[in-house]
Amino acid sequence: MRILLIEDEQKVSALVKRGLIAERYAVDVTADGFEGLEFAEVYPYDLIILDLMLPRVTGSDVLQRIRRKNVFVPVLILTARDSIDDKVKLFELGADDYLTKPFAFAELLVRVKALLRRGPVNRSSTLRIDDLELDRLTQQVKRCGKRVELTAKEYALLEYLMQNAERVLSRNMIIEHVWDQSFDGITNIVDVYVRHLRAKVDDGNTFKMIRTVRGTGYMIRSRSEA
Amino acid sequence: MNRNSLRARVTAFYVGMLAVTLIFFSILVYVGVRTYLTKSLERSLSTTVRNIEADYLAPLENKGPAWFQAEMSESYPSGISDPFVRIFEADKVLYDSGDLRDPVVRISDLPHPIQNEELNNFHRTFSSTGQLLMIYTVAYNLPSGRLILVETGASMEPLQHLLHSLFLILLIATPGILFIAAVGGHMLMARPLRPVVDLTEQAERIGRKQMGERLPIIPSGDELERLSLALNRMIDRLEEALAHNQRFSADASHELRTPLTIIRGELEALLQMPALPAQAMDGISSALEEGDRMSRIVHSLMTISRLDGGGERMEMLPVELASLVSVTLEHMSLLAEEKSISLTCQTEERVYVTGDAMRLKQVVVNLVDNAIKYTPVGGAIEVQLFARQQRAVLVISDTGIGIPAESLPAVFERFYRTDQARSRVSGGTGLGLAIVKAICGGHDGTLSIESVEGKSTTLRVELPLLELSPREISDLYPITTLNPKAEHVPMEQLYEKPVEELIHRRLKL
Repeated sequence: MRILLIEDEQKVSALVKRGLIAERYAVDVTADGFEGLEFAEVYPYDLIILDLMLPRVTGSDVLQRIRRKNVFVPVLILTARDSIDDKVKLFELGADDYLTKPFAFAELLVRVKALLRRGPVNRSSTLRIDDLELDRLTQQVKRCGKRVELTAKEYALLEYLMQNAERVLSRNMIIEHVWDQSFDGITNIVDVYVRHLRAKVDDGNTFKMIRTVRGTGYMIRSRSEA
Repeated sequence: MNRNSLRARVTAFYVGMLAVTLIFFSILVYVGVRTYLTKSLERSLSTTVRNIEADYLAPLENKGPAWFQAEMSESYPSGISDPFVRIFEADKVLYDSGDLRDPVVRISDLPHPIQNEELNNFHRTFSSTGQLLMIYTVAYNLPSGRLILVETGASMEPLQHLLHSLFLILLIATPGILFIAAVGGHMLMARPLRPVVDLTEQAERIGRKQMGERLPIIPSGDELERLSLALNRMIDRLEEALAHNQRFSADASHELRTPLTIIRGELEALLQMPALPAQAMDGISSALEEGDRMSRIVHSLMTISRLDGGGERMEMLPVELASLVSVTLEHMSLLAEEKSISLTCQTEERVYVTGDAMRLKQVVVNLVDNAIKYTPVGGAIEVQLFARQQRAVLVISDTGIGIPAESLPAVFERFYRTDQARSRVSGGTGLGLAIVKAICGGHDGTLSIESVEGKSTTLRVELPLLELSPREISDLYPITTLNPKAEHVPMEQLYEKPVEELIHRRLKL
């Protein structure tokens, strides 16, 4: 998978590049919008990550031109603006996703993977990690074959964690996904729910699947990866 | 009506001036008329005497008393003649026109004139029946040297009547005119004041919603025009200052984002390094947490500056607050449970407002989160929602640490936290209430706070109530009303998921 990163802030691009390479993606970086356009025309990229604030030509111009030439490549926008108006405008211009700075790399990665999958998200009816099983049709959860009773929010939280197993999810990501933006800033709600979820899922088991990654967030992992 | 209003004062001044003028004028008229009438009466009396002297007294000695009598009774018939005439020679009555009949005045009771200083003079006296009379007595010397006294007089009653009527007219007319003038003046003042009223209303509007508008210029070329121009310049400066403030907030938040991204990314990368010493791990994690907090502050600051600047696009739709509040509280109940705080909720059904559901929910979330933060273990939080006087009122009261009275005015300021709050809760942004305030402002609502230090705090949100007919209400929920099955979808999902997802969900089930 080849990704083009158009970002003029060198340190940001270095970070993103490093992280993406660690995830075994091929990454080309340019700090210039025009150069980025040329790159995009020459190579068939699988994904373009585009910063909005660029010298000489703005990110939205670049996006517009890319869309005029190549309709299919997914574009993920990085921006420091986060008003709804900006978002709507970008989606109208043909952006596929949108990430506001500052972002956790984990979040970028989740979005990159989602965009690269380029199809319906894994909607298989059962999610399974080791002996933890989540049935999306019946909304039932089992650990070691035993039924675990969860509230609606706990269920949504577990589903989100299991969907992104082995990946750290920041509190903000969890809030936006399981709750909504109105809970912005009330991050301890995530901590409280994770604690409750843990009590139901992990208590009584020697291997604790739900992990806290300090300073970042939470993740669920299988014994084999640990 | 306000006594001190410009309109009242101007009207009072001008009515006062008018009153003085009117009273002065009335006195002048009264005195003038009285003088004129008296003089006329005097003139008529003296003319009568002149006539008698010339026509009848002069030829008296030639023609004899009989002729005199006859002529006199023809010219000044008894009882009819007004003025009355009496002519004496010594004590002998030469002629007497008798009592006046209309009005009746008894003349016969009057003493005979005597030769004294009253002669050739007008004087007043009262008849035996009490009427005021004006009497003019003249001494006339016949050529033979006989002294004749001619007395003529008239009742002053008609004159007094006239003056009395005039007095009454003036007495009634003056206040009447003043009253009309006052009312008229007050109404008249509305016209020149109209532009000022417009100016005020416009100024109110500009303050509340948008700065973009300007006051109407009153092209009067006077103080009002200067006032409107000056006010507009003031709004210009205000707008500039506000815009500058907002731009600064927005720019600052914006500029902070890139370095924050880098700090965060670098720290995250560091954390991935294998075999990191525990202390480094700790330090990096702590730095990451603070970075996270800073990101939240930046995000909140941007939100506030957008809300304040009107740059935030809000989806203004009818929102049913009762279910929004109860669903949100349900989501937060676990947070309260953690601290063994009882979270109770009383809502009236069907309280509608026009607003952005997400933002309104944020109001509830922030306020309840605050209440939980500042309420000790085992406390209680009570949430009430009701409609009152065209307002939807949301009251959130807790048994928390309270806020000192001197800090109350500042609690909605950005970054303001009381010392107690600062020491008690870490990790907050200090912007929660500022956001709530900004959201309330964006909904034409108000946010107020009451608190007893150490005991309780009550926050009160008031929003304009949206009154809907049952039909309009049913139009709001086409999904729920079309399909009775939809009732099985929990309320929270109705709230949280977009319609497409809801339909998708139902198809799956």
